[in-house]
Amino acid sequence: MNLQFISDGPALIVENRTRVLVVADLHFGIESDLADHGWHFSSRSAERVKKVCACIETTNPDLLLLLGDVKHSIPKTTRQEFFEIPGILSAFRDLVPIMVIPGNHDIAIGRFLHDGELLPKAGAIIDGVAYLHGHTIPSPGLLGHLIIAGHHHPMVSLHDEVGCSLRAPAYLAAELDPAKLRRAEKKGTRRKTRVLFMPAFNEVAGFDILRIIRHPFSPLSRSIRIDTAEVFLTEGTYVGPVSALEDDVAA
Amino acid sequence: MSARYPHWRTMLLPDRLDERVRSCIKKRGFFALSDPQMQAIPLILDEKNIVLIAPTGTGKTESAMIPVFNALLSTPSSGGIRALYITPLRSLNRDILSRMEWWCRELSLSIGVRHGDTPASERRRQALAPPELLITTPETLQALFMGKRLRRHLAGIRYVIVDEIHELAGSKRGAQLAVALERLHVYAGNFQRIGLSATVGNPDEIGRFLCGARPFTVVRVPVAKDLEIAVKFAGESFKQQVETLSSMLGRKGSTLVFVNTRVTAEALGHELFERGDVEVHHGSLSRDVRIDAEERFKRGEINTLICTSSMELGIDIGRVDHVIQFGSPREVARLIQRVGRAGHQLHTVSRGTILATGFSDLLESLVIARRARANEIENVIPHMNAADVLANQIAGISVEYGEIERERVREIIGRSHVFSDSVSLLEDVCLQMQEHRLIRLDGSRIITTARARKYLAGNLSMIHDERKVPVFDMVSRRTVGTLDESFVVGWVHTGAVFITKGQLWRVIEIADGKLTVEPARKVQGELPSWEGEQIPVPYSIAREVGGVRRNRTIRDYTSEPAGIRYAENFLLDMDKNRSRVPTDQLITLENTDEGVICNICAGHKANEAFGRVISIILSAKFGTTVGIELDAYRILLRLPSHIRAADVRDALDGLDPAHMPGIIRLALKRTALFKWKLVQVAKKFGAIDPDADFERISIQKLLDFFDGTVIQQEAYRELLSEYMDIDTAAAIVELVRKGEITVTTGRLSIIGAEGLLTSRDEIPPPTADQAVIAAVRRRLESDEVVLCCMNCRDWKSRTVVSRVPATPQCPKCGARLIAALKPWEEPLCAVAGKKKKSDEERATELRLIKNANIVLSSGKKAVIALAARGVGPENASRIIGTLADGDAFYREILKAERNYIQTHRFWQ
Repeated sequence: MNLQFISDGPALIVENRTRVLVVADLHFGIESDLADHGWHFSSRSAERVKKVCACIETTNPDLLLLLGDVKHSIPKTTRQEFFEIPGILSAFRDLVPIMVIPGNHDIAIGRFLHDGELLPKAGAIIDGVAYLHGHTIPSPGLLGHLIIAGHHHPMVSLHDEVGCSLRAPAYLAAELDPAKLRRAEKKGTRRKTRVLFMPAFNEVAGFDILRIIRHPFSPLSRSIRIDTAEVFLTEGTYVGPVSALEDDVAA
Repeated sequence: MSARYPHWRTMLLPDRLDERVRSCIKKRGFFALSDPQMQAIPLILDEKNIVLIAPTGTGKTESAMIPVFNALLSTPSSGGIRALYITPLRSLNRDILSRMEWWCRELSLSIGVRHGDTPASERRRQALAPPELLITTPETLQALFMGKRLRRHLAGIRYVIVDEIHELAGSKRGAQLAVALERLHVYAGNFQRIGLSATVGNPDEIGRFLCGARPFTVVRVPVAKDLEIAVKFAGESFKQQVETLSSMLGRKGSTLVFVNTRVTAEALGHELFERGDVEVHHGSLSRDVRIDAEERFKRGEINTLICTSSMELGIDIGRVDHVIQFGSPREVARLIQRVGRAGHQLHTVSRGTILATGFSDLLESLVIARRARANEIENVIPHMNAADVLANQIAGISVEYGEIERERVREIIGRSHVFSDSVSLLEDVCLQMQEHRLIRLDGSRIITTARARKYLAGNLSMIHDERKVPVFDMVSRRTVGTLDESFVVGWVHTGAVFITKGQLWRVIEIADGKLTVEPARKVQGELPSWEGEQIPVPYSIAREVGGVRRNRTIRDYTSEPAGIRYAENFLLDMDKNRSRVPTDQLITLENTDEGVICNICAGHKANEAFGRVISIILSAKFGTTVGIELDAYRILLRLPSHIRAADVRDALDGLDPAHMPGIIRLALKRTALFKWKLVQVAKKFGAIDPDADFERISIQKLLDFFDGTVIQQEAYRELLSEYMDIDTAAAIVELVRKGEITVTTGRLSIIGAEGLLTSRDEIPPPTADQAVIAAVRRRLESDEVVLCCMNCRDWKSRTVVSRVPATPQCPKCGARLIAALKPWEEPLCAVAGKKKKSDEERATELRLIKNANIVLSSGKKAVIALAARGVGPENASRIIGTLADGDAFYREILKAERNYIQTHRFWQ
């Protein structure tokens, strides 16, 4: 299997026999929620769609996999989403087949999808790699595979001698501790389960990786083995183990 | 009262004034009219727009109001408001009200005050039966346009008096007021405009600000003859300074002591508390405490009041015999305004003393005192085309009219001086406002929205009503201070380090409206600090101070022996130390342990601009963060120890003044200052609500959404006009190029070390690339490595990369054929020592030898490359083969790691 990091996303190309473009956490419709919190912007959906389409065109995948949180508003679907989402999805479909793993924000997303596009919430295996939005306990079938998950919106802060000089979306990779997941390991699978948390495609979202580690907010993030956790930038640069980031903060 | 004045004048205007007004003047005891009154009253009676420039306490209010009362008596009432009296402060409103109530009672005119504190019952009464004379603030005037009934009462206004107009003209509040007067013009037609101002350098600009293109007359009463200003050196230590001050307070009569910061006010108050006759007065104290202090001073129970600018405006506190300015007043206008508080009666001389507190402070005080006597006063610069003010007024106008043609709006705002040329700005602002639904555009019309009224309710004022975020220290479990919310929103995030109260803090959490921090230990290099805003010293003053240093003409400025001795000795000490004295024609760059001090006599704003430009250049050239701190005479560039004064000079020599404005825009964008201003402007634009949630949203990214918008342009405009002076900085660089200013380098001098009076440090960060490389470098340095000798094959050692010497050597056999292995490759060492080897083991041996050969030829560099993820001997020799060095070398390593990471092997 090959992974290709698309920094103009962030997005991933995962390739065994098929070429899958993975995009997580688009959060279309976030602007009406921002307005409720006092931040008024016009909808930036069009720009976001353009960026996804550019990714599709440069990578030429066989499938676009939306890894949850395609839309933003919960529990209701807002007017903004109702008007925008059908057009957005068909813009994608015009270029490539799509599939959606629903996330916690994707309540009733089904109404916008065609037959066969909606995958189960508990995750799915496509071409040997497991995909999960990341807010639920992963189904036992996913264990032993590389699990690619969204939901956590990881970001990293890098420091030089003097202070923080870069805050950027980043990938967080770690091994899962099955004991913490409270799921008996599937018999016969001795293989370790690794999980790769993808950064959000939406430009606004972001949680510092150290916060995810220290205050995990999902079954998945609670179950990682911290000593194996590693950080990558969106173009694939290996930053180092999470422990090195912590040294940074304590220094 | 009259008997005290030897040359009182008889009334010159009896026949022009109404009998009732004349008798009031007599009743009031005004047998003599002051100069301003003599000059202003006939002009106002002639229905001229005037700007009356005169010192505080010369009867300016009466100058304006006597002829206005006269006119009100001679024309019949129309039932609405007939005269508006606008002051910048509520406390001034109350003061004016109590003075005017007497006249109105005598003349049977109705009077009222309306501002934020006015109770609802009074407001309602005013809406039904408006007073003939209404005293109000600029903000409350805004509110008058919103009510249907109140708007009707505006039509009869014939006179508008703007008091303390110099305070308003240079601010965004003033720009807003200028538009409000034009909005009033729509209802009231041409009304008479009367501006009352303290002394300023450019009264005509104040006139244009008040009247737009309409004709006006300036009546100017010079101050110099009534001012007596002395400068006294108070000693170097705070203790000496307090003693000097204390000895001056013993005399007969009352004293106002002005200080520049609240902290100084508190510190002095603390030291002088035991005297029992001193109170402190500043804006952070509650209103009750302040009013109590004012009253006690007025009644003579205490004879000293220590105050900040809170006491500058004409609030009546009774008799003041003497004014002491503790430390340089920074500006001539401020000095005159403050000293003007002394002798608050007609024809008395105002006496003031500046207590200087150090070398720069003394020279600066002397220069300011000379300029005050010579009447060389700073100009007030109005905000021209301030986009956020325009947005605020468009929202106001759209609510006022419901819907309105854009052309009409252009006409209204275009009559004001501050928006006289704003056609394209109006378009941009309207489009931006439509984005956040403050207005709707329908062809050529602007239509109000539901949001607009709500927005106006929270944004009547252009004053940034800044929420303060408490800073809570988790270690000591106490609140250590507060920060402006705009600063927190724009800059602070988890893990961020900042300075406040002279200490470093690291942010742990932003939640529940407070910032939880812990003390940070790193003290090297510096970071955004937040000390609030300071009064800048203008370029002209700093320049003259440089001239005094060059010519050593202290005796031309003062005859006070202590001051002369101190300043001359200070300069002699410079000579003894063989330090060159930086002047208006000499810039000295001095090396210190912390970095380089640039001694430039250019004032705060030019130094701010210069410091930022030079730091962005150094930062780009050396790939390091540069911290800056500055005052009017020096800039401290905090730099790593290998960057010295000579490097700063090289950067300065290579600087093209024409490029400086471009560089500074780039430099500003990532600073805390810019983000702070951006948030403020966006709030006034209605893009961010006053109570916006900033805890759960990644604000850093959101601010990028303002890129290229009129909101961002306004943040730039305001910073580049209010906070820094790039034109002057560029002019200085030009003088350096022409050789009219010399630049030298040297060791730290006592002038350089004199201490930074103010500081606002920023971090112009290096490119992201450098942060990434720094992180990777650190990781590789701390990676474990196993060294094993491929010559004797009898030595191996496990260590970390940072401890590996430049050319690793085997301690047993002395050979340099050392293989550098990753920790999990350690067992391979055993293979090398085996006598008999399988094919597979032989292949391993070959790889080890290859590995060791690279280390042999490239030393530690090879060890670093070999420690990287997925880098074996082949990759390592390719990386080293590129001959890349420094950052480029690490970039090559990153590339190799990236390739490895994208392959199958890594993910299983």
